[in-house]
Amino acid sequence: MAEPIVQIRDLSRVYRHGDIEVVALNRVSLDICQGEFVALMGPSGSGKSTLLHIIAGIDRATSGLCVVQGVNVGELSETDLAEWRKQHVGFVFQTFNLIPVLTAYENVELPLLLTQLSAGERREHVEAALGLVGLADRMDHRPGQLSGGQEQRVAIARALVTDPTLIVADEPTGNLDAHSAADVLGLLQQLNRDAGKTIILVTHDPKAAAHAGRMVHLEKGELLNGERK
Amino acid sequence: MTLHGFILRNALRNKRRLTLTVFSVALSLFLFTVLQTALRELTEPPEIDDAALRLVVRHKVSLANVLPQKYQSRIERIPGVKWCSKFTWFGGIYIDEKNFFSQFACDADCLFNIFTEARVAPEQREAFVKEKTACIVGWKTMQRFGWKLGDKITLLGTAWPCDLELVIRGVYYGGIDETNMFFHHDYLDEALGKWSVAGMFWLRAENAEVMPELIERIDKMFANSAAATKTETERAFQLGFLSWFGNVRVLIGSICSVVVFTMILVTASTMGMTIRERAREIAVIKAIGFNARQVFALIVAESFGLAIAGGLIGCFGALFIANHFDIYSLSRGFFVKFEVTPQIIATGLLISVALGVFSGLVPAYGAIRASVVERLRAPE
Repeated sequence: MAEPIVQIRDLSRVYRHGDIEVVALNRVSLDICQGEFVALMGPSGSGKSTLLHIIAGIDRATSGLCVVQGVNVGELSETDLAEWRKQHVGFVFQTFNLIPVLTAYENVELPLLLTQLSAGERREHVEAALGLVGLADRMDHRPGQLSGGQEQRVAIARALVTDPTLIVADEPTGNLDAHSAADVLGLLQQLNRDAGKTIILVTHDPKAAAHAGRMVHLEKGELLNGERK
Repeated sequence: MTLHGFILRNALRNKRRLTLTVFSVALSLFLFTVLQTALRELTEPPEIDDAALRLVVRHKVSLANVLPQKYQSRIERIPGVKWCSKFTWFGGIYIDEKNFFSQFACDADCLFNIFTEARVAPEQREAFVKEKTACIVGWKTMQRFGWKLGDKITLLGTAWPCDLELVIRGVYYGGIDETNMFFHHDYLDEALGKWSVAGMFWLRAENAEVMPELIERIDKMFANSAAATKTETERAFQLGFLSWFGNVRVLIGSICSVVVFTMILVTASTMGMTIRERAREIAVIKAIGFNARQVFALIVAESFGLAIAGGLIGCFGALFIANHFDIYSLSRGFFVKFEVTPQIIATGLLISVALGVFSGLVPAYGAIRASVVERLRAPE
């Protein structure tokens, strides 16, 4: 088996609101290998999104270790973490989260504005990403002019455009009808299979999780069938 | 698209709010520019070289008090006095009160030896001196009323109990104020029935060195008389005259402070509202890799752009108005000049820059401090 690209050891996340403590994750350990398509499953409040956010570098663990491609993300400063996310993580959100005043092309181009690429080079990357998700003919459309499924595909293109190490998708089909959901999940499968992308999917839907190569179950902040080393 | 393009798109997403905010900043900066210009015109009267040798002799108590005409011969005999003219403000009405312009009775034969910066055609000057009912008018007033040489002008007395009928024999150009009318003091004396008084005396000294001595000597000469005098340079006289308006500097300064403060409230409120509405989008761009400095810069740049747009419109709008409208007529002669200087515009633009930066600071700080996860989880 390939070397793990994500290594999590005894990871805990505790939220404190005054005197109240909420243990979102309790000593979770997990490995994810390069090229895997992993579904994090569990009911609402199980900690699956929390785990995803920590892996993606938009949240910090209270204790434990999270190493992604050799980098302990918990030790990075906020500025370094932003830089790390830019290079290594592509996000797909449940509510798409496209910028409404930008076209599909511009939404996909947004992460590339932080790079040194020229306008021409950016165009190549954006067109390739939109072509991959089958929306090359919708570049000039704004999110309001796209269907839900199309918006999510634009979001996937935005996640892909920087060629990240990981693609993290938090309930990407939660706001879609069955047909669009199937399209999006099929696209993620294709990216994993054909492009070798490492994908971590959070879902509570077993049908969605079935598209993944491996399912990891969480409940009340603990792994039920996670890997422990 | 570039980052600048992204900032512009964000700024333009709510065009109504943008227009109203820019307009309110523009109006505030317009008001600020106009007030500062008015303050400058009131407290910094223009200086010209020719004024350096001029002195004004007036009643010590008040400009409203008159002096005996007999003082003139005594003043003229003082060594160092080159020319001396009686000078009395008439304050008459030409047809209607709103047609205000200044009229002065003077010694026609030496007026332009004292006010050497004014240019009059020699034949017109001669015609003015020769005829008792003649007058000379500044070209701005000639243009304002469409007068021509030879026109008869009737002035209804207000400060003085007489009406005057004058004939325009000349036009003058140059000097600080190109709007005045000058006529013979003899004519006023005749109309008043030989009151033998004058509002003040204007002198031209031989040279600058004698001026301090002249001031002291003239005032000492009349110190113990019923009408003691105050002699001062033209500059000091102008500044003293302006003090009639009270502490204009404090008044206008206060108004300008309120204007600037109101602008800050409006712009900061707009930016705060805008950033709150975009909280989730900001979380998304942070998630995709925009660091705190970049997010901060995006927000402050938008605020800056909004403020500077308003500042440019307001300041240069005031400049346009000042250059293309007859402020003298609009102010009924209150402002002879209304010059919006580069310094005033620079101050206005500097204020709008500071406004833009400060208005964006708090929302930007809030945005970079906010948790990405919490903002993504918040309901839309």
